[in-house]
Amino acid sequence: MAIDVETVVSVAAYAAGGIAMGLGAIGAAIGEGHTAAMANVAISRNTKASGDIFKNMLVGQAVAESASIFALVIAILLLFLDVAVPNLLKAAALLGAGLAMGLGAIGSGIGSGYPSGEACFGISRQPAISPQLTTNMLIGSAVCQTPAIFSMVVALMLMFIDFGNAPLHPTWAAFLGAGLSMGLAAIGSGYGGGLAAGASCEGISRQPKTVANVTTIMLVGQAVSQTPSIFGLLVAFILMFKTFPESTALSASMALLGAGICMGFGGIGPGIGNGMAAEGAVRWVARNVEHAGDLMRIMLVGQAVSQSTAIYAMVVSLVLIFVV
Amino acid sequence: MKELGKIHQLIIPVFGHNITINLEVILMTWIVFAVLIFLGLFASRKRSILPKPIQALGELIVSLLYELTEDALGKEMAKTYAPLVCALFMFLLLSNWLGIIPHLDEPTKDLNTTLGLGIMGFCIAHYAGIKSKGFKAYIKEYFEPIFFMMPLNLIGELAKIVSISFRLFGNIMGGSIIILVVSYLTYSIVLPPFLNAFFGLFVGTIQAFVFTMLTVVYISVQVK
Repeated sequence: MAIDVETVVSVAAYAAGGIAMGLGAIGAAIGEGHTAAMANVAISRNTKASGDIFKNMLVGQAVAESASIFALVIAILLLFLDVAVPNLLKAAALLGAGLAMGLGAIGSGIGSGYPSGEACFGISRQPAISPQLTTNMLIGSAVCQTPAIFSMVVALMLMFIDFGNAPLHPTWAAFLGAGLSMGLAAIGSGYGGGLAAGASCEGISRQPKTVANVTTIMLVGQAVSQTPSIFGLLVAFILMFKTFPESTALSASMALLGAGICMGFGGIGPGIGNGMAAEGAVRWVARNVEHAGDLMRIMLVGQAVSQSTAIYAMVVSLVLIFVV
Repeated sequence: MKELGKIHQLIIPVFGHNITINLEVILMTWIVFAVLIFLGLFASRKRSILPKPIQALGELIVSLLYELTEDALGKEMAKTYAPLVCALFMFLLLSNWLGIIPHLDEPTKDLNTTLGLGIMGFCIAHYAGIKSKGFKAYIKEYFEPIFFMMPLNLIGELAKIVSISFRLFGNIMGGSIIILVVSYLTYSIVLPPFLNAFFGLFVGTIQAFVFTMLTVVYISVQVK
């Protein structure tokens, strides 16, 4: 049975749509479940504030859902995509787009659950500051969504940019590698950013006066824990836009795929680790605000050390792209 | 969907190389400059003890940012760096908000703008480091904890430029692409204003603040 190119492209588009929405549903659901669980605990501790807690839970869940809504948008676009020039390269690009969005939505979805859960719990502790907690939760969750937004940018670029007549043979691996690099690297950063945002909501509910310091350190900590996903974005951009010389040897393709996988997996751990460092710093700034400067400095040094593994991964993947 | 990734460029050939100028980005940047200059003029003209609304707004912004810089850098250095921080934040805020006006684009949607600002912050941070610690102590930091960590420390410093500029670029670019795609899917009914409010005003403000704070933090890490 002969399979023509158009069939291959539409098969790739449907498979990619399935991957994007299927994987993309994981994270948001877990995050929303965590929020609901914390809201139940909070209501049973302070039944008088149940109205505020319920409202906050719904708002928080709506924000946590946005990662999976991005995945839904990409999946729908993939299902109804009209490919102008169907070729095998486009099929690889579509699969890469599905992988990038699906994997990239996991971390942000889980991460956004933490601030909203902690904000619900915080309202039960201090019902008077519930507007402040909701604002802080929204800021934290919005920054948490950044890795998912990066994944969406990469997915849309893979879908809509016309790569012309790039040679099929190493380039298909570059596109799959770009998707994997961005998608996997976004998992750790999204989750880590969520840990920091959750700690900030908890801290504010314990000590509402420290809100300015806590928010600043939360934003800095989240920004640093997003760095691995930015490395993933950088490697994905290089893989998409560098022109590779044609070569039918399998090793050239595998080097590019390997570069993507290396940066992707290499970014998961540092993202989570940096998030843990930020979580600790934010949690203790709220309790000991006089030493905010020291805590921030030690957090940054610790994050720089745990970041170094992501830098190793980036160095290896750049070597795989440019040298091998 | 066709307008995704299309820009107007002026390409000037000079000695075999092409100099590419993104006209729209430059125009948008000038619009932001003009708005900022007029805001500054109106805020500082006819100053009085009882401030008019626009003077009060200017004082509010400047004093908030001044305090933030003072917290991170101390009283002495804040005098030098607070004007820079104020200017950076105001520029980024207006740039990120510009996209909510139809037919105008955010200058920060172009990687050249954010990369330029990132490199500027990097240079200032390292200049401040050399100035406060002396050249020898500054160089010595790259060889900590052991001498062969030097290349990795160097890459780590350069990675800061990449991360700070790609974060802003990715967020603004991603927001505008999402607005474009969703408006296209829903035939621009109901949703676009809310999306513009979220990605333009809310995310734009947060990202401007994050970029400014990180620049201050990079300076303070170099200084201490």
